[in-house]
Amino acid sequence: MASATLLSPIEAAPPQGVAAAAPMPDVLPPVKPRKGFIGFVRRHPTMAIGGALLLLMVLVAIFAPLLGTTDPTALAPARRTREPSAMYWFGTDMLGRDVYSRVLYGARVSLIVGFSVAILASVVGLAIGMVSGYVRILDSIVMRVMDGLMSIPPILLAIALMALTRGSVQNVIIAITIAEIPRVSRLVRGVVLSLREQPYVEAAVAAGTRTPSIILRHILPNTLAPITVQATYICAAAMITEAILSFIGAGTPPTIPSWGNIMAEGRALWQVKPYIVFFPAIFLSITVLAVNLLGDGLRDALDPRMAKRL
Amino acid sequence: MFAYVIRRVLATIPVMALVALFVFSLLYLAPGDPAAVIAGDQATPQDVERIRASLGLDRPYLVRFGSWVWGILNGDMGVSIFTNLPVTTMIAQRIEPTLSLMILTLILAVTIAVPMGVVAAWKQGTLIDRAVMGFAVLGFSVPVFVVGYLLAYVFALELDWLPVQGYTALSKGFLPWLENLVLPAVALGGVYIALIARITRATMLEVLQQDYIRTARAKGAGQGSILFLHALKNAAVPIVTVIGIGIALLIGGAVVTESVFAIPGLGRLTVDAILRRDYPVIQGVVLLFSFVYVLVNLIIDLAYTLFDPRIRY
Repeated sequence: MASATLLSPIEAAPPQGVAAAAPMPDVLPPVKPRKGFIGFVRRHPTMAIGGALLLLMVLVAIFAPLLGTTDPTALAPARRTREPSAMYWFGTDMLGRDVYSRVLYGARVSLIVGFSVAILASVVGLAIGMVSGYVRILDSIVMRVMDGLMSIPPILLAIALMALTRGSVQNVIIAITIAEIPRVSRLVRGVVLSLREQPYVEAAVAAGTRTPSIILRHILPNTLAPITVQATYICAAAMITEAILSFIGAGTPPTIPSWGNIMAEGRALWQVKPYIVFFPAIFLSITVLAVNLLGDGLRDALDPRMAKRL
Repeated sequence: MFAYVIRRVLATIPVMALVALFVFSLLYLAPGDPAAVIAGDQATPQDVERIRASLGLDRPYLVRFGSWVWGILNGDMGVSIFTNLPVTTMIAQRIEPTLSLMILTLILAVTIAVPMGVVAAWKQGTLIDRAVMGFAVLGFSVPVFVVGYLLAYVFALELDWLPVQGYTALSKGFLPWLENLVLPAVALGGVYIALIARITRATMLEVLQQDYIRTARAKGAGQGSILFLHALKNAAVPIVTVIGIGIALLIGGAVVTESVFAIPGLGRLTVDAILRRDYPVIQGVVLLFSFVYVLVNLIIDLAYTLFDPRIRY
């Protein structure tokens, strides 16, 4: 009620015949952000949309067996390349496998690869960046190695690493992680170097705080925001790279239904049976879009200064 | 300035040496014994041993690395395990389509993305700005092969305006060459356009708030000249930097685009080499692409003074 009284400073009616401007309050009422779920959606629409889409995909991946799917690897040569119908929602591929089931199970591979790479690359990149930012002797060596790794385009690096091993989900995760680590390390190193110049860190040093506890209490918490944002973008990039690797035959083995594999198998027939390629393509695009929206929303929320610019 | 150029060029040597070491280790660590592969199924252990010695595979790691690097410096990248052709010959045969695709994509992307970003920054907060930013998010999210198939389906299969697949050499005429490359270039350019448009908008927003822009406006400069002469010129360095860094996206994307559109370029060569485990070819292509990437970014680094004379070395 206090704010309501502040709102009406002029009680008297304006004189007759004189156009009066609307009275301006001396003090603006405090903006109370709406709390709860609806408030969150209003304040961060991109994060909410991205998060909802991603959650939907995760649920689809987890509950794939319950969503009217059949065995995604079951061959049925008698009913191959059927067009989408009530029986086969997304049609069947050239081996008679149900594309709907394969696409839904394919969500598992994409999400596992995306999340694993995001977490692994962030953790390893955080460690390397931290060491590089704090140990001057190692800094130049580590960063030169990262420069070298970064001069190989990431997809090419992942392809080259996959050429060394047999195709498996685990190897795909490792290959993409290695390709993504240099960027995270650089980011963390940059943040650490600028944080070390901050007055509160200098104050902590002057006060005799030990280095480990400075890192733990001052440096680490401040690197988490940029790393979280970076992790979402890495997740998106990893899902695309996985699909690319599988698409060109250097990713997950053909026995596992992944979106890249389904598209690779549909490639030969795509001019006559485009749906085999398009259904996994749509799912992949929506999932990556969801992660990117989530990342953009996180970035805006965690760093309001950037929100206006990018 | 001259000293800076020399220093900068010298600084790329350790980077390239590291890349070379990675790429060489790739073959070194590769499973399978090339000597056994070359010797064939009928070979005795003695034959394999003889071939291994003749290939120099029994020498220590660093010695082999040294001779490999020496070979590359002399234009010898080894011989394909599969076709028995020198890797340099195979690359030379495939370089034109890839180079054409990349240059066309680069031109297309820059001419579309930079004005897009400038207009978005100028009309900040309006529908145009939102549309550009929305497009950028989409560009980052829809993978290159999805765009490729979509474009090929609509413009080649349904509308029949352009060829679905293939490549026509530039020597057979400019128009057929262009017809074959338009769709792949647009597909490949998607992410790149999104990246450049986004950074252009961000940098322009910053520049447009500067005092000299207000001065230009006060002295009566037109909107077009403010945006493209005064502002864009001052925003050039970050934009050009991102164009250089983004080449990595083009290289990675080319591998996929060439598969989608059946273009017989280096990307296709890479994919074939991966499927056949043809390690010398993989090495050659990765090394070449990385070298080009480092070189382009070196040139851009050195060109900063052209865009911003305030930068002095």
